[in-house]
Amino acid sequence: MNLEDARKVLDAEVIVGTNLEEIDVEMGCGADLMSDVLAFGKKGSLLLTGLTNPQVVRTCEIAEIVGICFVRGKRPPEETITMAREHSLPLLATRVPMFESCGRLYYHGLKGCSETKE
Amino acid sequence: MNVGKTQEMVYEMKVSAVMTRDVITIGSKERMSRLRSLLQGNRISGVPVLEKGQLVGLISIEDFIKWLANDQEDCAIEERMTREVTTIYEDDPLVLAIRKFESTSLGRFPVITRDQKTLVGILTKGDVIEGLLKKLEIDYQEQEARHFPARYLFDNIEADDTSLQLRYNVKGQDFTQAGDSSTRLKRTLRRLGLRSDLVRRIAIASYEAEMNLVIYTEGGRIRAEVEPARVFVEIEDSGPGIADLEKALEPGYSTAPEWVREMGFGAGMGLVNMKKSADEFIIESEPGRGTTLNVSFRINEEPHEVN
Amino acid sequence: MKLTELVETLGLEVRSCSDNLFKKEVTGGYASDLLSDVIGNSRSGDLWITLQAHVNIVAVASMKELSGIILTGGREPDEDTIQKAESEKIVIMVSKLPAFELIGRLYDLGVRGVSNKTS
Repeated sequence: MNLEDARKVLDAEVIVGTNLEEIDVEMGCGADLMSDVLAFGKKGSLLLTGLTNPQVVRTCEIAEIVGICFVRGKRPPEETITMAREHSLPLLATRVPMFESCGRLYYHGLKGCSETKE
Repeated sequence: MNVGKTQEMVYEMKVSAVMTRDVITIGSKERMSRLRSLLQGNRISGVPVLEKGQLVGLISIEDFIKWLANDQEDCAIEERMTREVTTIYEDDPLVLAIRKFESTSLGRFPVITRDQKTLVGILTKGDVIEGLLKKLEIDYQEQEARHFPARYLFDNIEADDTSLQLRYNVKGQDFTQAGDSSTRLKRTLRRLGLRSDLVRRIAIASYEAEMNLVIYTEGGRIRAEVEPARVFVEIEDSGPGIADLEKALEPGYSTAPEWVREMGFGAGMGLVNMKKSADEFIIESEPGRGTTLNVSFRINEEPHEVN
Repeated sequence: MKLTELVETLGLEVRSCSDNLFKKEVTGGYASDLLSDVIGNSRSGDLWITLQAHVNIVAVASMKELSGIILTGGREPDEDTIQKAESEKIVIMVSKLPAFELIGRLYDLGVRGVSNKTS
């Protein structure tokens, strides 16, 4: 699945990022706790989260996450958007809540992080 | 593209490295009528002709067209083939093949061995170009993946013991800057050429430690030491210290206030994650005095390997 | 759907109040690690998927009348969390799967995260 496919599944809006269809998404990771993103998220995952502070972008940079989708209608503050632009990290936003977002992506074939070898 | 590099390659690379080995041949006594299906089915423009395993000629699509235009009377291949075949040796350098293509304006050369003159392949201009491009790409990837150039640096330093130190100061309670040191450390280790999975592990450990400094202390220091065979990261602070280390290492144990949790931190996984990422993990803490973390990572025996 | 079906199908381990497994009806799912979010947005009957293991989760689940809590990624509830859950009659289960996959499998079993507008 590429990021554009994921965007369509979640009917998400693009906040940062272009040519989403060129970005491969190998896995999904849903978490609101950054330590969990570091512990469970693997390189090449899409992060679904309800957190919007700039630390989320930093965490993705460290964990080599390919993109973030903010769930349940959360909009990131300006600092987060600026930081994402600096790091060329795509940001999406969907009104769909976390549970439903993970479920739909999984249903459309996106794997979880424990099903994929690093 | 690097022209000098390509020039070097045409002198260094042999014909055998780029030729097509799987050659379609036809026997000298076979019939012209069979050639049609051979040429069509394989989308080729010329076929080497063999007699008792030795190359005796070449029959091309031009020869075939001539035959079609004239009599079309079925006959043996040897009657229509070109006997004067320009061949090339398998151990000839590519530069010779390129010159030969230019001087003869031929499209293909059968490739033979120097001693037995047996046919081992066929070479077209396309093979040469494709071969060169592939080699360039491989060289490029190897250059990209030439891991741990810091090793090169270390190899050239004459000392009993060498290491490279990177130091970062972390401000406490400053959430806007939190994580910046680890991000910079990560970039630096990347540039030094450490394997990417190793860099990721180091960055995760350092980031968790940095967040702890920001959340719980008035600030502290991260010192990374890169040695030829390992990376060592020390994180220290003179903050409140940890009262119960054993408890602190349990997954989910946290003393973080709710606002920190709502920011996505302080869920009691920081130390657990650090331990999981590191090859070695030592924590020392004294309440009221501060905490020192020593985490180290082995650089694999095979640092040149791409993961 | 009853909790007990999900426990069997997904191999969940029950950590508290197992006698409630047959009683609790799961009408939806909610995933969040932020307590304020769960308080604000979860619906009664939701099964709550989280990594938070501390005692406050029980109070939230009780207040919002959630059908149960599943801790993901192999996280274990604290001892006082279990005690509180027993007294508040909240079923806590654990799964080794990360949240994304557990949710995906619950979704496959028909648990939804948004209200079904046709019903």
